[in-house]
Amino acid sequence: MSDIQKTHNPAVFVRGGSRLARAFGSGGGDLSRLFVLIALLVSGALLFPGFASPGNAMVILTSVAGVGILALGMTMVIITGEIDLSVAGIAVLSTVIGGVLLPGGSPAMVIGAVLLTGLVLGLINGILVAALRLSSLIVTLATMGIASALANIISRGQASYPNAMPEFLWFGRGAIAGLPVPVALFLLAAAVALVLTGSASFGRRLYATGGNARAAELSGVQTWKVRLTVFALSGLAAALVGLIESARLGYINPAGFVGLELKVLAVAVLGGAALSGGVGSVRGAVLATLIIGCINNLLNQAGVSFYMQQVVTGLVILAVVAPGFSKRIDVR
Amino acid sequence: MSIATTPRHRGPAIIPQLIGNPLLWLLVLILALGLMTSPVFLSGNNIANVLRNAAVVGLLATGFSVVLLTGRIDLSIASVMVFSVIAGVLLTTEAGRYLGYRWIVRGNTFAGPEALAIGLCLASGALLGLLNGLGSVGLKITSFIFTLITMTALRGVSYLITNGAPVYYSEGLMRWLGEAVFFGLPVGFILFLAMAVLLHLTLSGTVFGRRLMAIGGNEKAARYSGINTGLIVIAAFVISGFCAALAGVLFTARLMSVEPALAQGYELIAITIAVIGGISLAGGTGSIPNVLLSAVTFSAGLNLLAIWGIATWYQNLAIGIALIATVILTRVLNKAKPS
Repeated sequence: MSDIQKTHNPAVFVRGGSRLARAFGSGGGDLSRLFVLIALLVSGALLFPGFASPGNAMVILTSVAGVGILALGMTMVIITGEIDLSVAGIAVLSTVIGGVLLPGGSPAMVIGAVLLTGLVLGLINGILVAALRLSSLIVTLATMGIASALANIISRGQASYPNAMPEFLWFGRGAIAGLPVPVALFLLAAAVALVLTGSASFGRRLYATGGNARAAELSGVQTWKVRLTVFALSGLAAALVGLIESARLGYINPAGFVGLELKVLAVAVLGGAALSGGVGSVRGAVLATLIIGCINNLLNQAGVSFYMQQVVTGLVILAVVAPGFSKRIDVR
Repeated sequence: MSIATTPRHRGPAIIPQLIGNPLLWLLVLILALGLMTSPVFLSGNNIANVLRNAAVVGLLATGFSVVLLTGRIDLSIASVMVFSVIAGVLLTTEAGRYLGYRWIVRGNTFAGPEALAIGLCLASGALLGLLNGLGSVGLKITSFIFTLITMTALRGVSYLITNGAPVYYSEGLMRWLGEAVFFGLPVGFILFLAMAVLLHLTLSGTVFGRRLMAIGGNEKAARYSGINTGLIVIAAFVISGFCAALAGVLFTARLMSVEPALAQGYELIAITIAVIGGISLAGGTGSIPNVLLSAVTFSAGLNLLAIWGIATWYQNLAIGIALIATVILTRVLNKAKPS
């Protein structure tokens, strides 16, 4: 079991070296992510007078809360050695189903339907991957296509507007004790993920499944249950984020969220999750989310075009990810 | 396993191989359905259209498959496809400006030396493949991540250097590439066919090809038996980049223009075609002729759905279901087969 415990800390994959080198070395290391974040915050505060205000902090947090929630789910999926490309499709289909129910439905029914759809789609992914042992890349690619096609078929390509339902809008625009609801939900999701990944029962099985599935199975872990759980959670997170973002926009768009899965994947990887499985942490994912939020905010304040931002974001991920992976053998 | 069985795919065994191929039967089924339900489906023009589409997505999928065979993935192909054409055209224009010629005329229409533009386009595709290869081998970053980064960054750069505006290119050689037909086969498809045959012969008949398949089969074993795995993986990425650029040229020839927003999501079509064509994502197993057949079947199927007047959404639904059905079928068949 000691091996499984060790994988909680990505640093064990680096042999030798000082503690500092270790913290910097593996998968970017949480310490290096923290330094990047601090550097961004300091340079932002120096360059732009409005950057270090509480108002701007809320702007940053609200803008990345959705991606952050998904990155937490994605990190858990990646820790099991799988991948979930269907999050954008699930977000679209579940909100569109909510949109169809909007005219006559009660708030509980609409919001319940959205979340339930996400959960069911996540479970379908999980069953195909865990029970049928199909490649998660292909399965979730297919469910992504199927979900967004169904969303367009159900809505006939028409957008719907949840403006008459304040409970729906609350998910994007409301506040709890001064904290915007998206930010509160992100914090809640981070807390849940922290408890799950840190727990002796589920957390250990999670890392064991991705670290060495065969060894985990031989030592009595039912890895299919773990896989099913993470895909269900990822699906639920996708529906929740669909709800948040549609509420922020006041607009349920069957053609929305294009490319969201890749953004989320980039954040998860920036957070130190390795696609080979067994490695990744909630702490890293949260830090990565904040880094991306700060970069986008800074580039916006500097008036950099959206397309240049794509290039810069790519380079930042490369800079954080490259030194860490160089210590490991690229088997895949 | 795959190394030992590959040579047997050639020679007289090809006929029973074809008959036992479920993809071929799917294609026959589509053709039969088309013949029964539509007077135009099997017309020369429509077949040429199907083959032109097959050439673009097929070339993408073929290069992509070579990378998959090494156990890696190249998500950047769709971005490379668009970026390399833009780069070829803009570099040529820039060179013209340097020499005192004006090669962008009349509202962003390209009218410069075509051999140079197309040559630069293919070269930039190969160079970007080299970049992907060096990144994932040299920096040891998982190819999924590295090509995800190049995919996003190249899309951004394409917008930046064009300001999002289309470049029109419909003269001479480009028009010929888009329109010419020999013996019922469009030029683009002939190029695709030639590329597929070349790659198939390389993979099944040369030392390089055997080594590439060996890397996908068992990379560690390949490395320990003295194969320079890094070099071969880089070569696979270069092939993928080159194929993507060639697909980009054919795509531009069909649309008579190129713009940065084009071909988004084509990497997913390439994965679908490769998987339906039996290329394993784990590497080491699969054959290029099957990918060719898969590309033609895919295009014919979509074309038939379009002729039936079925909305694009249902077509996307069909693609997704076909993908899942393929992997489930493969799983079931593999279980049924005694190993």
